[in-house]
Amino acid sequence: MTPDPSSSSPHARAEAPVAIAITGVGVLTPLGDSVASLFEALQAGRRSIEPAPEPELAGVLESRIADFDAVRYANVRGMRIYNRTTRLGISAVRLALTDAGLAEAGAGAGAGASSAPGAARSEELGVIVASTFGHLDTLMEYDRSLATDGIQRTNPALMPLGLPSAPGAAIALSFVAKAFSITLADEGASSLDAVALGARLLAEGRARVCVVVGAFSPFLELTVAAMRSGILATGGHVRVFDRGRAGTAFGEGAAALVMEREAEARLRGAPIKGLVAGQASTFASRTAASVAAAPNGAAAAISRACILALWAARIDPSQLGVVSSGANGSVAGDLAEASALREVLGACAAHTPVMAIKGNLGEGLDAGGLLQAIVALSALRGGLAPPVLPPILELAEPEVPGLRYVRVESGSSPRGGGVKGRHALVTATSSTGACSALILEVPHDGPP
Amino acid sequence: MKRRVVITGCGVVTPAGTELDPFWSALMSGSCFIAPLRGFSCLGMEGLMGAEVELPAADALPPEVDLDERRSRCAALALAAARRAWTDAAWPPGADLGSVGVVMGSTMAEERQVTDLSDRGKTRAQAHPGHWLDSLDAGFLVRANNHRLPALIAAQHELGGPVMLNATACSSGNAATAWAYDLVASGAATAMLAGGADSFTRLIYAGFHRMGALSKSVCRPFDRRRDGVSFGEGAAMVMLEDLEHARRRGARIYAELAGYGVSNDAHHITAPEPNGEGFARAMNQALTSTGTAAGEISYVSAHGTGTPYNDVGEARAMKAVFAERARQIPISSIKSMIGHTNGAAGAIETVACALALGHQAVPPTANLEEPDPECDLDCVPGRGREMRVETCLNLGAGFGGFNVCVLLKRVP
Repeated sequence: MTPDPSSSSPHARAEAPVAIAITGVGVLTPLGDSVASLFEALQAGRRSIEPAPEPELAGVLESRIADFDAVRYANVRGMRIYNRTTRLGISAVRLALTDAGLAEAGAGAGAGASSAPGAARSEELGVIVASTFGHLDTLMEYDRSLATDGIQRTNPALMPLGLPSAPGAAIALSFVAKAFSITLADEGASSLDAVALGARLLAEGRARVCVVVGAFSPFLELTVAAMRSGILATGGHVRVFDRGRAGTAFGEGAAALVMEREAEARLRGAPIKGLVAGQASTFASRTAASVAAAPNGAAAAISRACILALWAARIDPSQLGVVSSGANGSVAGDLAEASALREVLGACAAHTPVMAIKGNLGEGLDAGGLLQAIVALSALRGGLAPPVLPPILELAEPEVPGLRYVRVESGSSPRGGGVKGRHALVTATSSTGACSALILEVPHDGPP
Repeated sequence: MKRRVVITGCGVVTPAGTELDPFWSALMSGSCFIAPLRGFSCLGMEGLMGAEVELPAADALPPEVDLDERRSRCAALALAAARRAWTDAAWPPGADLGSVGVVMGSTMAEERQVTDLSDRGKTRAQAHPGHWLDSLDAGFLVRANNHRLPALIAAQHELGGPVMLNATACSSGNAATAWAYDLVASGAATAMLAGGADSFTRLIYAGFHRMGALSKSVCRPFDRRRDGVSFGEGAAMVMLEDLEHARRRGARIYAELAGYGVSNDAHHITAPEPNGEGFARAMNQALTSTGTAAGEISYVSAHGTGTPYNDVGEARAMKAVFAERARQIPISSIKSMIGHTNGAAGAIETVACALALGHQAVPPTANLEEPDPECDLDCVPGRGREMRVETCLNLGAGFGGFNVCVLLKRVP
């Protein structure tokens, strides 16, 4: 179904949106803990997906950050008891704030005590955390202890950290974010939905600085459950958009964006790394909680989200420099994604590069969309998109020809494909049917 | 230009009733539904109190969602409330639902999937040591994914708009309403189902017991003798709709959702900021962002959990925002009757506010017999009160310090 955005309702375009700028980014991935190192690794064709070492996960692939030590990135009270997802999130926020020139924001300061020039006071700093499973290992540990050891012998400090809201509460507490602290749990769509929510809250003046962070750290029980549900590849590679694809792999990581109203960001001299040009969220109601059961419904919903996001950004597909796809090697999901992109791009499909980083990093769920977004900004700024790896053989399905996947050039080392334009389309979906599409723009005067 | 947003459908599934009229009558009479629990137990804890929902047989969980009603209780409550709000909103058959979505809030959401797993795992490990993981079945990942709550609702009603799950602990119901309001007000959605749901959970009972924050009898908000929270289960959803769209289709309009205020204490992982400073910031933002003068507020729906800290903090916030007038504004906590329904609380209280605007009356605070001098407000003790109600402020707060207040106005 293709919506007609020109009709008065639904989906009439919001009037005169307040421009929202991205002024800081932070990433933590197995391929790098800076945007530059991550992008370089992707361009060099490196992948972090490997066989999981646990005997319970024999044959399962996953991507994990080796030797992660949160204290190297941030020194906040409570870090010791926070789980790995929360520590990843805190670390990514610290990296992003530093990148935005707001290094002192919430650095253990009390209310309104931040002293960085131009920095937001605590009351002006808000945090939105994308976290669907970020509490779950703590909840399982706490509850298993209750069941086996009894109430009095269970560590009470774990209790508040077993709530789904815990990652948001802990991260906001770490940075003394007093404007708001929100956790969104829209699974794969969480982080792009969080960007949109943050943009709306900033536009309404409910914060001066909003940090959006997504973090995901798979743990044994979650990966075993995913393995038994049949979504994980069990050998070989995660092959994105490939006829030989057979599932995905969980990919650990975190990513954060610092967002501000553009006018105020420029006033304080912040680097404008990108602009949130448009976003839309849709739902594939026909999938009824399983994209695999109804890929056509999922394709239609992804397509609608992309078209509405383009409309919100006031651009047409010909202005897209690159698509950063959320495809992850899922048999049904990649087909839905490719079908949707083919429909959205139309005549532009043959010359709009489509990149997909989950063949390198695995499925980052709550972090996935933000990682894609950050890589897309780098691709726009550098004029080069990293290739889809492993080298794809294209989908076997005949209905989706003609997408221009960024490929490894034959006979050469991976370098990627050229990107022309200032806009990127980023897509993200959840297994439950949520679709989120984001349009990012790099300004003419952005940093290189 | 922001669109005006109105409530055109309400659905409640509460201990005080599962339809709007009996729910409202029960609230106004000051009936307390907190009693010894029959349908929920927690690790052999004795004397557990709570307010339970009697879910009609017609609300039984569809088998494709889960054959085990007990572990998917939250989904059953959520679907039941959504179905009522949907029916109440009476959208015409064949309406375009491509820009209608759901924002759901929940404190614990699918926690019972984990307790079910722990119990099965414990049994399995007792019989086969080292085989705890055997109890992880193929469907666990789907059931333990909290996003399935709004997704099941959206799928049931074939909605195509944004579908989101907000987790801000016990302010979740209000927060979900706030984000849904933004989506409609900005034009990104024509209408949104918004609300919250929570069932009784082991983490909450065990955790509050350990903290000494569970009431030993019934919760008594603003009472000198209050000794903690009583929990309830439940769900509520409202249909938030673009005013012009609602008028064009001749929809019944309960109230205008005029806007909201948010803040975060960033004070402690569980304890609220003792002076209510965060609460007051959220209340002030709700007033200023909606262009409402403090003097226009007719009624405040309190968070009112009945813990010593919360109620004093809330009273201080009232005084900070309304100054001398604080004592003249009726404020009540329906948690005194239906317990604290966690992520559903804000949503149920939004429905109560919408009904208050319609009935021109406000519900009481039950069990309030000896007012705390530190909470010297007009807490409407005992029974509901008929009065002129033009504007309601619904307060919500959650573990972690996140405060959300939604502001409702009567639509003449």
